[in-house]
Amino acid sequence: MPKISIVVSSDKIDKVFPAVVLATTASTMGWEAELFFTFWGLLAIKRGYEVKEVSLDHKHFEGKLREAINAGAMPDWREMLKQGKKAGKLKVYACSATMKLLGIREEDLIEDVDEVVGAATFLSRAKDSEVNLFIS
Amino acid sequence: MKVDLVVDARYKSCPGPLLALAEAVSRASPGQVILLLATDPGAPSDVREWASNVGHRVLNVEKVGDTCQIYVEVSR
Repeated sequence: MPKISIVVSSDKIDKVFPAVVLATTASTMGWEAELFFTFWGLLAIKRGYEVKEVSLDHKHFEGKLREAINAGAMPDWREMLKQGKKAGKLKVYACSATMKLLGIREEDLIEDVDEVVGAATFLSRAKDSEVNLFIS
Repeated sequence: MKVDLVVDARYKSCPGPLLALAEAVSRASPGQVILLLATDPGAPSDVREWASNVGHRVLNVEKVGDTCQIYVEVSR
């Protein structure tokens, strides 16, 4: 079974969204998928944190993007993540080093997170992936 | 063509139509035919790729106006 591993290091919606689109689509295609949230990406999987900002360069698209999500034209990324997990083998990892840096505890993470891991653990799980991406 | 279920995913962007189809297929029985309605231009090729990966059959794809009508037979 093919596998995709994605590092997400941003909390901006235009970064988190495509990462989750790819992981969830992979999962529904029968692939294994791994999402590793690190640095500011970790904020996206913090309970109560709203991923709503667009990257600064494209800030003027923020309203348009929100409209598309509210109208249901674009799926909600959290719902998509849940669907990806339900459909197959999608794992969500939180980076242990940045958790400490940002003062985020394990109980602060959303329920979709499977495990808090370090770099070596992620690498050993990602090494046999056919597709490896870093989204920042 | 006999259709057992219609999944209307018009005006949903990628991967909305595919996810809606996958969810419907997971609840369907082998042999059933699902008609997916989609306006996202990537839907026909996405559905073909998905179906060949997971083992379902795309029976036909028709374009009516802006809408793609994609017939999928549930194979397992």
